[in-house]
Amino acid sequence: MTSLPPKPGVTSLPPLAPGWTEHKAPSGHTYYFHKETKKSTYVRPAAQPPQTKHNPFSLPAPGTAQNGFQAGNYNYSAQQQNPFANNPFAPPQQQQNPFSNNPFAPPQQNPFATNTFAPPQQGLHHGNAQQHPRGGSRGDHHNFPERRKQPEDRPKHRHDIPNCAPWVLVKTKLGRRFVWNKETNESFWKFPQDVMIAVVEFDRLEREKKEWKKRGELEEKEEDAPVAALVEAVTPNSHPKEPETEPVAEGDEVGGDSEYEEVEVTDDEEEEVENASKKLRTADPSEDQPLEMGEDDIAWQLAAMEEEGYAEEEEEEGLPLTEEDCKALFRDLLEDARVNPYHTWEKILEDGILFEDDRYKALPTMKARKECWDEWARDKIHILKEMKAKQEKKDPRVPYMAFLHKYATPKLYWPEFRRKYKKEPEMKDTKLSDKDREKWYREHINRLKLPQLTLKSDLSALLKAQHISALNRSTTLDTLPSSVLSDIRFISLPSSVRDPLVQTYISTLPAAPENAAQSAEEEAEAAKKRVERGRRERALAERERRVKEDQRKQRRDLEYGKSRLREGEEELQRAMNVGKGGLRAQLSAAQDE
Amino acid sequence: MPPYRTGKHNKRPPPDGFEDIEDTLLEFQNKMKDAENASHEGKKKYEMLWPIFQITHQRSRYIYDLYYEKEAISKTLYDWLLKNGYADANLIAKWKKQGYEKLCCSRCIQTKETNFNSTCICRVPKNQLQEGQNVQCVNCGCRGCSSAD
Repeated sequence: MTSLPPKPGVTSLPPLAPGWTEHKAPSGHTYYFHKETKKSTYVRPAAQPPQTKHNPFSLPAPGTAQNGFQAGNYNYSAQQQNPFANNPFAPPQQQQNPFSNNPFAPPQQNPFATNTFAPPQQGLHHGNAQQHPRGGSRGDHHNFPERRKQPEDRPKHRHDIPNCAPWVLVKTKLGRRFVWNKETNESFWKFPQDVMIAVVEFDRLEREKKEWKKRGELEEKEEDAPVAALVEAVTPNSHPKEPETEPVAEGDEVGGDSEYEEVEVTDDEEEEVENASKKLRTADPSEDQPLEMGEDDIAWQLAAMEEEGYAEEEEEEGLPLTEEDCKALFRDLLEDARVNPYHTWEKILEDGILFEDDRYKALPTMKARKECWDEWARDKIHILKEMKAKQEKKDPRVPYMAFLHKYATPKLYWPEFRRKYKKEPEMKDTKLSDKDREKWYREHINRLKLPQLTLKSDLSALLKAQHISALNRSTTLDTLPSSVLSDIRFISLPSSVRDPLVQTYISTLPAAPENAAQSAEEEAEAAKKRVERGRRERALAERERRVKEDQRKQRRDLEYGKSRLREGEEELQRAMNVGKGGLRAQLSAAQDE
Repeated sequence: MPPYRTGKHNKRPPPDGFEDIEDTLLEFQNKMKDAENASHEGKKKYEMLWPIFQITHQRSRYIYDLYYEKEAISKTLYDWLLKNGYADANLIAKWKKQGYEKLCCSRCIQTKETNFNSTCICRVPKNQLQEGQNVQCVNCGCRGCSSAD
């Protein structure tokens, strides 16, 4: 870096401390820069050193005063101890009261101070450039009496970034973007890693939204206003303040692309910016996130498509997505989200489980969705009913008997027992009547008084009475049939005696009879369904792709038309341009062509 | 003196299938409780009743749909629900009639309660209202329940 000649200080002021140089900010303020420490300050560092200690900031970047952000923020305190207290570009941990009223305190990494004027040939890395905010290359402009006026930038749109709660994406007038944390009041041009992911996601959503808007303006007519309001976040249409994500002034000042990086704004130094942004790209080629389409991006894409040829467009007609498929997709979504078919539709919308999925948009209107939901719920309930009918009924006696086995003692009469355990769910179960409960309790107590030999023989009689399909060698103590579990004879013995008995009996039994053949058919059916479903999902993806392709094609056509127009204009221009050479010159020119 | 019946052990259990819809009904119950206990501050007297009517309507519609549209609950359960006041049987009876499919509440078709022996304003189809006329009836806060809408 070439060091710039220090501007002579005003004579009346005390001499500068060694190493400090004086400069004029574009805003007209004088500031001082120390080349070794890279410090700069508005406070004049006099020869005595303690003055410099007042400036705790290492990154002053006063050259940013032209920035429109801070126009309203300049209210210097009388002593000017800390010139950066009012400077929005001060590092975030220093941001205090002055910012409480300015939600758009601009980012800490100051893009304005970066290599806007540094010729890109120097190959300055960005971070590097920030370290030298008063780079020598800047000095060239200092002596210009009237600086070229920088375009004023200011925040224009503000979007909440989904899934990234306190962070807000702010779009400036010139189409640049930065993120701002609402809570900590931090802001960055360069997105932090986690925010970056959310922003990429957000951009994707935005793009989809636009596509949907283009595609389905006609078909989208929401019937239910409240529901529509609910879904608004996801459905593409009728977004009231659909933010315009195109750069405000295209191609004029901004290099369109690479919006995830800091972008410089100049009026006429377009080439430099172009170079710079290209350099950025080559600097980290790993950046393949979806970028917003600048004009050159489009052009590049068009060129790429030209190379590819049109071959693939023809074969896109395959895998059509019919109306039934859309419905089936939505039903799959309902199936996958494990929605309770007994819920109300409003409840499901309130829960908001469905919105995340792409298949939610397979159906265009809320009415269609509700119809589909109704159908699905009806079918699902029927399936559930059948399954329940197939399942063996759970005997309510089983838990009650287990309960008796655990707690019943001959010491308690039935009323006492009931009072003692009235809070237990087994005692409150409405499926059993109180009379039955009392009867079984009394019977159980009476049996407890019998000799153990009788009880054992009773138990073996009970086990022997079971059919081989219910009780066989593969049964364990946990999977005993309910006909055993609900019998009063099963609970009469204490489990320390009973369990070994049952186990030994089970071990003597033969294996279960074979009946696994029936499931083959069901399996085949399930496989068929799976295949169907895969096809539908592929079709949906195909449709999305086709729509994108169409858009690209349209854009290309537009481009082509424009270029034709331009050509025509040029031709006209040429024709109009009659030189002094007369007719012969014209004719010879025509012959040359 | 009739026998004094109390406690759980005398109660008949609800019919099968009640456990499936129990959660949703509980939700409705909670909503109803909230509506009952809501503050009346700054509201008209009749406005206080609107949420009550609304929740009743929603719950009745839910049970009606389950029984008639989705055929999800049994006749016994449906009768039990009606008997226990989970749905308004009179309202459901109206819904089955042509022209009353979306009726908001039975008060809105009581012609004898109005000065000109007419139904409530919410029964008027939207296309017969004046352009841009927004209605909300006094009885139940309905914004229009004509079948033609």
